[in-house]
Amino acid sequence: MPENRLKVDARGIACPGPITELVKAYRNAKNGDIIEVVATDPGFKPDVEAWIKRTGNQLLELREEGGTYVAVIKVTAKK
Amino acid sequence: MKKRVVVIGGGAGGAILANNLPLEDFEVTVVDRSPYHYYWPWLLYVAFRGSRRPMRREIESLLKPGINFIQSGAQSVDLNNRKVVLEGGKTLDYDYLVIATGSRPTYGQIGGHEKAVEKYGDYHSTVENAERVWKSINSLKQGTFAVVVGGDPYRCPPSPLEGVFLAEEFFRSRGLRDRVRVVFAVPYPRPYPAEPMNEVVEPLLKERGVEYITFFTLDRIEDDRKVAVSMEGEELKYDALVVIPPHVGTDVKISPEDVLTTDRFVQADKYTNNIKGFDDAFVIGDASAVPVAKTGVTAHLQAEVVAKRLQGEDARNSGRTNCPFDLGYGLGTFVISDYRNPVVKLPPSRFSHMAKMLFAATYWDVVRYPELWNPIFEAYFDATEPAKLARIYV
Repeated sequence: MPENRLKVDARGIACPGPITELVKAYRNAKNGDIIEVVATDPGFKPDVEAWIKRTGNQLLELREEGGTYVAVIKVTAKK
Repeated sequence: MKKRVVVIGGGAGGAILANNLPLEDFEVTVVDRSPYHYYWPWLLYVAFRGSRRPMRREIESLLKPGINFIQSGAQSVDLNNRKVVLEGGKTLDYDYLVIATGSRPTYGQIGGHEKAVEKYGDYHSTVENAERVWKSINSLKQGTFAVVVGGDPYRCPPSPLEGVFLAEEFFRSRGLRDRVRVVFAVPYPRPYPAEPMNEVVEPLLKERGVEYITFFTLDRIEDDRKVAVSMEGEELKYDALVVIPPHVGTDVKISPEDVLTTDRFVQADKYTNNIKGFDDAFVIGDASAVPVAKTGVTAHLQAEVVAKRLQGEDARNSGRTNCPFDLGYGLGTFVISDYRNPVVKLPPSRFSHMAKMLFAATYWDVVRYPELWNPIFEAYFDATEPAKLARIYV
């Protein structure tokens, strides 16, 4: 089965926060899918790291470019 | 010639927008499938206080005389040809279109969700379901009462925790708090997704002995075993449970289809509410995919911006949120932020709770008479700008 790449634009979300957009994409994803989230909220970086650690999904990339954060996640932990 | 404005949806956004347009310059038509406008925030009090206060009014009674109201669903919108086809087949041509169709819960994403709602109710859908929640908490004399955030987005970001706080207060007031556990599960790293507001509410959860589970992405409900199961296989045992349902956008067929996201929210410019690629069509409130909370205040502020833009003024959204947050025991706060400022750490107070209740009491008047209330809200929003409050509440 080909992997899906889900792009999530969470720039500008202060409330309720970009993590909610990641959760939404995760719900609709299946194991093997790639989720790419772009966010501007500085709280996003530690949140993604914590989320990866707790859920056991895989963080392929987390980079910052001039106030914008890009996280690339591979979904692997769904039972 | 008057400009023809068609507004799809007679809820907070649609009604406030229509009432803000001068009828000397605009011929305004509001269409809605339902004859009623609902004040949705009241479902919380139906569910957790057993409130019987009426929470709907006829849309027609909320619109200024001279505005046309057609009770009909919109079947399709053709943005390129400026046409709206109604469910009966009638076609409306427009110069400007405003989509204000809101959002609605969906029950197909979580296994066993529909059955759970039939049994325990919820407070994001109907009065009937909110009444079921009231019955559920009244019949629970011992065990675990769980509130689980089922997915994003949903109307009113504070609403899951408001339910938790009011449920905890309810069980304590009945003398059952030592026998009923109150548990809250969220898919986020913390109880409230935005960190500054979490710093306000998390201590209250601890103080009141509410347990919470983070990073819990609900996959299914197995009611025969009385467990909610996460996508990673973690189980949460309950005796009664209320799930905050994920919401989806409009059910109106829109062409071109690429203005819609996969969950059917309409993509738009976050400052002007123009639907992507169209300068004569707008989307306001919950129906839009712009990155702001789904809440009445957003719909209200966007409606004012669009009304001004239709009159030739270059008005822009600040992204302001102002979500009232019931913390139980007569306390409240507001979730205040905008595009440029993070959420303010507004401490719990009786005053904020009173402001929430006063707002609820004036709601219908606010919708119906913008000429009286716009200046009052303008003064309020100006005095409570997040940049100003952030200097006080560090």
